[in-house]
Amino acid sequence: MSEPPHLPMTEPQQREITRLCVESGLRLMQHGAESALIESLSCRLGLALGVRSVEVAVMANALILTTLGADHCITTVRRSADRGINMHVITEVQRAILEVEEGRLDPASYRAALEAVQPLRYPRWLLSLVIGLSCACFARLAEADVEACGLVFLASGLAMYVRLRLAKLHFSPLLTFFASAFVATSLAGLGLLLKLTLTPRIALATCVLFLVPGFPLINGVSDMVKGYSNIGLARLAWATLLSAASCGGILLAMTVWKLWGWP
Amino acid sequence: MNLLLGLLSNMLLAAIPAAGFGMSFNVPRRVLLWCAAGGALGRGLRFLLLRTGMPIPWATLLAAAAVSSLGVYAAQRLRAHPKVFTVAAMIPMIPGVPIYTALIALIEIQRRGLTNELLSTALSSALLSVFIVAALAIGLALPGLLFYRRRPVV
Repeated sequence: MSEPPHLPMTEPQQREITRLCVESGLRLMQHGAESALIESLSCRLGLALGVRSVEVAVMANALILTTLGADHCITTVRRSADRGINMHVITEVQRAILEVEEGRLDPASYRAALEAVQPLRYPRWLLSLVIGLSCACFARLAEADVEACGLVFLASGLAMYVRLRLAKLHFSPLLTFFASAFVATSLAGLGLLLKLTLTPRIALATCVLFLVPGFPLINGVSDMVKGYSNIGLARLAWATLLSAASCGGILLAMTVWKLWGWP
Repeated sequence: MNLLLGLLSNMLLAAIPAAGFGMSFNVPRRVLLWCAAGGALGRGLRFLLLRTGMPIPWATLLAAAAVSSLGVYAAQRLRAHPKVFTVAAMIPMIPGVPIYTALIALIEIQRRGLTNELLSTALSSALLSVFIVAALAIGLALPGLLFYRRRPVV
């Protein structure tokens, strides 16, 4: 990475660069990047486009960014709404920024590239299928019998479909997780009630594994480790809330269908 | 022979959920293969280390660090941040059954009253899950902490 030239720039130019930086950071933030990545990529973009320095403050639901130009600085704030984890967007934004650093994009063409990034979404039926399959694999890894794995496949697949449908209707993720945990546990509980399998407990445990909030947990820990304690705590609290909602769904299903009893 | 069979089935059974969860994080299609490879590497390495008698949190730490190193290598080839695929590759190592056991044991304590057996199940499962999750997070961060201290991976 060579030292970029500090070009003399006019105020409108600096304003546009500031907007590009904050909008790139915002895209990363909305789609689940960790704070260190948000900060380093928006800084690198600004430096590559020729401002003297970029200062970023990442907050739990907003992004504050200042660029320092030749003789003044510009500060701007953007509110961030969560758009769901999407690694495709993060990859595309990062690649565009790498191209700016290599000198292959100027501000105008970078804006075009940024606006052309459309979030990739896999179809709902496909996601339900692979999540069902994944949870069946978890059951197998935990040494469940084949009947239990089949049951987990059905339970998790259907529950994932419910989760995606509810998310599409813009219910709160907490309600969505609660409902899908209820559906998954109810279906897997059939194994215990109808004695379909010899390992019903493993089926009950693994059918809800797709609700473990892996990304908030891991991002939360890495934010904390890298010194972004505020947003790290916010992420960990959110992960805890999501897990609590799933626990509520599991408990409700166990109470309604009387799935109690220690093996 | 038995060892090899166990290893292969572990790796295959981990590769599928790693790719599956990658899809639920909307990982681009071509990168999904790296998710699967990471999942297989992590689970396979952990299987072998457990066979040598290593405790499961330490085996998880080493396996997670190996996956993260693979992630750094892949990141530089794909021009994408390693988190894009390493998080999905960690998912098969999340201690689902211990977390669930701890939760149910806690609720049984509330429903039926405290017994030594329930308390010890709850505590030991909860501690095991905490150790494994911490090992996953630290292992994932290890290449960054050791080798990429002041410079970005990509």
